[in-house]
Amino acid sequence: MDGTARETKINTAFVKVADTLTTDFDVVDLLHTLVEQCVEILGTDAGGLMLADSDGRLQLMTSSSESADLVEVMQLAADAGPCIDCFATGTAVSVPDIEHSDDRWPAFQKAALEQGFRSIHATPMKLRDQVIGTMNLFGRTSTQMSARDAAVAQALADVATIGILQERLIREGHIVAEQLHTALDSRIIIEQAKGMIAHSLSVGMPDAFTVLRTYARNNNFTIRAVAEELSNRTLTVNALISNIQPQDRATTSKNLG
Amino acid sequence: MDLHPPATAGPGGATPSERMCDAFVDTFSLSGASISVFGRDGQQATIGTSNSLAARAETLQFELGEGPHWEALSSGRPVLVPNLAHQDHPKWPLFSSAAQELGIAAVFAFPMRMGAATIGVVDLYCVAPRTLDPHEVALATSMAGRFAAAAAREAMASASDPHSTEHDRAPSMRREVHQATGMIQAQLDTTTTNALARLRAYAFSSGRPIDELARDVVARRLDFSTQPD
Repeated sequence: MDGTARETKINTAFVKVADTLTTDFDVVDLLHTLVEQCVEILGTDAGGLMLADSDGRLQLMTSSSESADLVEVMQLAADAGPCIDCFATGTAVSVPDIEHSDDRWPAFQKAALEQGFRSIHATPMKLRDQVIGTMNLFGRTSTQMSARDAAVAQALADVATIGILQERLIREGHIVAEQLHTALDSRIIIEQAKGMIAHSLSVGMPDAFTVLRTYARNNNFTIRAVAEELSNRTLTVNALISNIQPQDRATTSKNLG
Repeated sequence: MDLHPPATAGPGGATPSERMCDAFVDTFSLSGASISVFGRDGQQATIGTSNSLAARAETLQFELGEGPHWEALSSGRPVLVPNLAHQDHPKWPLFSSAAQELGIAAVFAFPMRMGAATIGVVDLYCVAPRTLDPHEVALATSMAGRFAAAAAREAMASASDPHSTEHDRAPSMRREVHQATGMIQAQLDTTTTNALARLRAYAFSSGRPIDELARDVVARRLDFSTQPD
């Protein structure tokens, strides 16, 4: 591949990876595109990508072939291999000749050779100190990936990593906002319902809450659900008080004194 | 030279949001700060204020349902008004004049964002005209964003506690306003929205703070069924 053609291909790869970051962001789609593009422009034979889950354990996310898939799964099962080391250290790990490498990772070596792979280059997916996974490119011949190619793989992995971290941040923001909204809305609706009960029964707020809670418990509703019905006037305070069991009503009215 | 020191130095705030309000006041030499978070339909909980001026200004925005913090909430962008007297504020004319009556000259509102969601707003007030330079705007934006998660946690803890005590510096969930809303709803046999609107309108026309009126309603010193429409 001459210089210009290579550069064009690299540019196209960046655009393709960046493209998956915009509308309808899908992490699996992004990772698949990343591996596919790296395999193509760096002339390797297969690729796979692992990401750490919320418990920090690596999971295989995508691979370009069934044989790459098998080797990745073997490493995860043995919890040993160049990809595992890459993730643990946050630095790229290269094995240019798997057949004649030392026996640091026997399970990986056996599986890789069985699948016809002779070299591997693992690139960390990381932003500053945070390592979120590893991208692994396999070759069917013994070959050392050039520094230039390794830099391209790292740059593409970086773009994808930033996209993944942004998406996580946005998703977590939505979850917190949702929890906050639910907490505020519940409290406000419950206070309003207490006010309605307090006025209708001429009692104070603590007793109004007792009535609300007793009705909710007796009828297996949440307090919020009962409060909502009162608030939107699908349930009246009269209906609520008449539905409270007689013994509860006795206790309640005694409390209401 | 510092022409507008904080209105009250005050003791250090008791809660994270109060300490954060104090940090805003000190960092930018302002007269007051308040931090509010919002529910799904704009229901508001104010979790911290720096002093009584900020508390009153924040209550005004709640009573009137307009002001820079509603603008920051809906736009997700900072609202910067260095001098209220210098221009009209078509989005919040009532708040603009009410704030000036309180002696406030400059107002700023910074959204607290988590990812794409705006979960609350930091409101800043100054009794003298005050311009925030681009560096200060960037710093305040960053401070507001970094405090968002802690503000959400504080508000959720307060909302989930049935017996959470509320005090003047942090009107918090405004429980009495919502209790009063429920009582007015029963008194007038109307919707929650109308009941709250009646309470807000009464606060506006009487010039009394809504929290004080709510306490009167809850204590049965004020009954809307005997009030003229």
